[in-house]
Amino acid sequence: MHISIREEVKQHNSAKFGIAILLLMLTIALFAPLLASYPPNMQTPFAFEPPSFSHWLGTNHVGQDILSQLLYGARTSLLVGFSAALLATILSATIGTSTALIGGLYDRITMRIVDAFIIIPVIVIIILVAAYVKPSLWVLILLLSLLGWQGGARIIRAQTLSLKEMGHISAAQSFGASNAYLTFHHILPDLGPILLVEFIYGIRRAIFMEAGLAFLGITDPTIISWGVMMREALDFCYLDVWQWWLLPPGIALSLTILSVTFIGHTLEGALDPRLESEAIA
Amino acid sequence: MFSIRNLALYLIAMFIILALNFLLPRMMPGDPLMAIYGEEALVQMTPALKAELVERFALDQPWWQQFAAYLSTLFTGDLGYSYYHNAPALEVILGRLPWTLLLVGTTLIISTFGGIILGIESGWRRSSLQDKSLLTGLMVLGGFPDFFLGILLLIGFGVTWAIFPLSGAITPYSGFTGAALVLDVLHHLFLPVTALILCHVGVSYLLTRNTMVTVLKEPYMLTARAKGLSNLVMRYRHAGRNALLPVITRTGIQLGRMITGVLFVEIVFAYPGLGYLTYEALLTRDYPVLQGVLLIVAVFVLIANFLVDLSYSKIDPRIRYAH
Amino acid sequence: MLKLENLKVSYAWEEILNGIDLEVKDGESLAIIGESGAGKTTLALSLMRLVNGNVKGKIFFNGLELLSLSEEAMRGVRGNQIALAPQNANNTLNPVYTILDQVAEPVLEHQSKNRREAREQASGLLSDLGIPKSRFSAYPHQLSGGEQQRVLIAMALANQPKLLILDEPVSSLDAPARAEVIELLKAVSQDRSLIVMTHDISTAAKLADNIAIIYSGRIVELGSMGEVLSWPRHPYTRGLIRSYPDMSTGKDLQGIKGVMNRSVSGCPFSSRCTQVIEICREKIPPLRLIQGRYIACHRGGIIPLLSTKNLTKHFGSLLAVDSVNITIEGAETLALVGESGSGKTTLAKLIMGLAKPTEGEVYLEDSRVNNRGKDFYHQVQMIFQNPGESLSHRLSVLELVREPLDIQEIGTEEERNSKARQVVREVELPETEAFLSKYPHQLSGGEMQRVAIARALVLDPRLLIADEPTAFLDSSLQAKILKLLLNLQEQRGLSLLFITHDIAVARKISDRIAVMKDGRIVEQGPAKSIITAPMHAYARKLSQAASSLSFEVKEP
Repeated sequence: MHISIREEVKQHNSAKFGIAILLLMLTIALFAPLLASYPPNMQTPFAFEPPSFSHWLGTNHVGQDILSQLLYGARTSLLVGFSAALLATILSATIGTSTALIGGLYDRITMRIVDAFIIIPVIVIIILVAAYVKPSLWVLILLLSLLGWQGGARIIRAQTLSLKEMGHISAAQSFGASNAYLTFHHILPDLGPILLVEFIYGIRRAIFMEAGLAFLGITDPTIISWGVMMREALDFCYLDVWQWWLLPPGIALSLTILSVTFIGHTLEGALDPRLESEAIA
Repeated sequence: MFSIRNLALYLIAMFIILALNFLLPRMMPGDPLMAIYGEEALVQMTPALKAELVERFALDQPWWQQFAAYLSTLFTGDLGYSYYHNAPALEVILGRLPWTLLLVGTTLIISTFGGIILGIESGWRRSSLQDKSLLTGLMVLGGFPDFFLGILLLIGFGVTWAIFPLSGAITPYSGFTGAALVLDVLHHLFLPVTALILCHVGVSYLLTRNTMVTVLKEPYMLTARAKGLSNLVMRYRHAGRNALLPVITRTGIQLGRMITGVLFVEIVFAYPGLGYLTYEALLTRDYPVLQGVLLIVAVFVLIANFLVDLSYSKIDPRIRYAH
Repeated sequence: MLKLENLKVSYAWEEILNGIDLEVKDGESLAIIGESGAGKTTLALSLMRLVNGNVKGKIFFNGLELLSLSEEAMRGVRGNQIALAPQNANNTLNPVYTILDQVAEPVLEHQSKNRREAREQASGLLSDLGIPKSRFSAYPHQLSGGEQQRVLIAMALANQPKLLILDEPVSSLDAPARAEVIELLKAVSQDRSLIVMTHDISTAAKLADNIAIIYSGRIVELGSMGEVLSWPRHPYTRGLIRSYPDMSTGKDLQGIKGVMNRSVSGCPFSSRCTQVIEICREKIPPLRLIQGRYIACHRGGIIPLLSTKNLTKHFGSLLAVDSVNITIEGAETLALVGESGSGKTTLAKLIMGLAKPTEGEVYLEDSRVNNRGKDFYHQVQMIFQNPGESLSHRLSVLELVREPLDIQEIGTEEERNSKARQVVREVELPETEAFLSKYPHQLSGGEMQRVAIARALVLDPRLLIADEPTAFLDSSLQAKILKLLLNLQEQRGLSLLFITHDIAVARKISDRIAVMKDGRIVEQGPAKSIITAPMHAYARKLSQAASSLSFEVKEP
């Protein structure tokens, strides 16, 4: 099953759009300190200012520049998104391949636990934990990845099981290859595309969760987050300031999530050629 | 094949929740009683009450005895006492539960069935303008976080054009009854449910559409066409019925995501359900309520999954009558 | 009742049906035979307008021209007047509905009955087809392959269609189920017209009166079943039948050289045909009626290569060959069987021109042979009994094989050498210098005979006369030489006149057999018939006296 990711991307406009937006966000995140005119935390006496030449998006309730906050918010979303997704994907891959290859009691018990976690709504657990533990950025990332790898593990396990049956694995085994060799030289490369899709969707989940939790107030107080911005803006929605305070972070968040969704959808299409070809009757 | 394995699954899930509920407060540094009841509550307690609670929870005993104590308190329906609400936690939670059920139920039904029908029509006319625009449209919608959508709707229809109320489930102190009450409830329900549906219809839609695309290539579609059946019959009776199966399976998992969405939407619209309750409890560090909500929500999600599992075997004859 | 006129079906990337003309009358049954990729399923589907490609031409059905109907009108015909029982693969039946419901569906759709009545009718149909009542509420996955096939047929029969199309109705079944379903279908075909698509000739033979052979999107032969099968006129049909294992063949299986290639211009079979001429590569042959058979071939079907008419030879008062009439067709083997002294060798010599006939003529491709010049020997070559004698002991292998080219002065020396090497390779001998410079006395019997065959092949003849070519060889060598000859026939389209006294050998190598006694041909016909049911007493005697390895196996 040979998949060419570049071909798929070339064919789908949505993927190109997604990649473009994501790159834009990455650039903003990386260069936020250079792009922002003010330190985002700096409070000024000019609160609720509408957009002006000095503050392109106006100021919030404590006089902080909204645009600078917006730019720095990108950092948080992307950092949490990528790190949590990376960690979760690594965990999924490890658990998924090991259960498939080792099998037996380990497999059965682990999969029951995985299934149990899939059913439980993650948000409730996070809220509970957050009530007891002061969430710093890294705690958040850790939590998100610990609660996010289960879905991927199922999929990877299923794929590994079917890969295991393929001829080239048996051939390698007949040459005396160890499980580790098989995993790193045969299975993981073949799993590559699926891992990538899991990673992309993991980013999506993590960005969404980070913003949502920030909205609820479960966030690292030292960092800027789009979720927090939206929460604060909502509190003052009766004042007519929402256009430049609420919308920008909301739109930025939605665009980021959307771009990742498009990329993920295109990659998924690449994995499943049945969705692309023609029908007869 | 359904019975024992799945039952074990639910039991393990329940166990994990219970374990979390049990472990978290007790792993915190400091007085475990404070961790269980919260600082504020503790201040209000008399020493006699504290001593009694310590005994009830066996807090000075080895941990497995504590766990047994914990379980036994649960079985008596005692989820703790909420000092903020000045009532037993269970009572508070049960009071808010119906509203959340209303939200979730309505959303689940409308978004699932709407998504299925849209998915069938879209999959049938694959690559047509209708399909492509629906696909893009719903994917875009799915990219918006629930709460943002909710906020937009709130501002749009609640603030700017004041068609819908800004908060609450019913107009307070109105004294509506009967039909007027129902109308009022629906009026308040409209925006939150719309926000939720817009966010979640995409999932069932996408899954149905993609399954339709695969199903349409199956040999039995050609057989159906050769019988001279009409397009409508082929679409729904033959293709749709088969495309249904994965979506139904997914519903159980979908529920988890929907709970997340409901939580946020309730907060945005100040809708007095479990979500809003959780938010309040978080702010006031009302630990008993928080733990109680987790438990109740988990139980409901597990029951819902259980029901979905049951129904699936009814729908797919290949499972029902496996060789 | 059904008439196809120049039906063409193409998809974006290729043309699948390239001008099909067919006719099926009321109550007739037609089998369409073809190998995979020939277009059978496309043809079946296009009859019901179920194909997605570009369809041109006309399909007339009971006065309606189907391709010009609206989709609504066509829908009314499908499952109603024309019905299809599709090939039974996995999931040909909808897995979520009971078989009763699925059989009742077409009734509900096309007849104005209510649900109960439709289900009653469906029950009747299922019972007629042998499904027990207890299985009516079963789901497709609970049924065996044979039962699923019956359900598909019942569905097709639901509205008493006038035309029933079957696509590979029994290929997914094993032998016992197959026989039952075939019986069923025979009963079903009584009241209607039937078109059966299959690659399996024996199924077709049991089900249909007429047969059409489809190759690469065109009909190449069309006629009545019995005639076509016993006397195929198109090279492809003959090749197909030859490659088909059944209980009554004696001749070893032969394939058809090459592979189906859609992008040829002219006759689609031209790249694999052994009697191809220039026009075959340029123009597509139309399907024409020639001597009671429809054939699409520029040469009118399989050509008769050599024939003799009343060939007679006297040696003084001895009548060696008495009024012999035989015909050898292109790419076939005619075995001439008789005892020693029956005149076989003399006949061969007469044909080769090594002896002059007293009376009678020899015809090469319809033109009379008077003087045998280079042209003749280009086409007809001979291999003699004793290679030790027929190969000059003074010449090396290379020189021996090259000799005919030297005599006929064909090509340069280099070309002759390379041609010689090529045929040496063809007869599976080493091409090394060492071997090519050997002399006959240094070769084994088998090698010598192969050299003789190579020498005979170097002129690219169309007919090879082999006079007891294995008489002087051991059995294992004999087997190899026979296989070599059959291979050469398959690859080059070589005709063989195989002369032997051993009817068992003849059986393994020949399409037709002529039995010769005392200079006369006493019986002549398809090898199958001569061997299994010889009519002449002498032929029967030969058959009984033939080598036979059958004996009782005693249990240890």
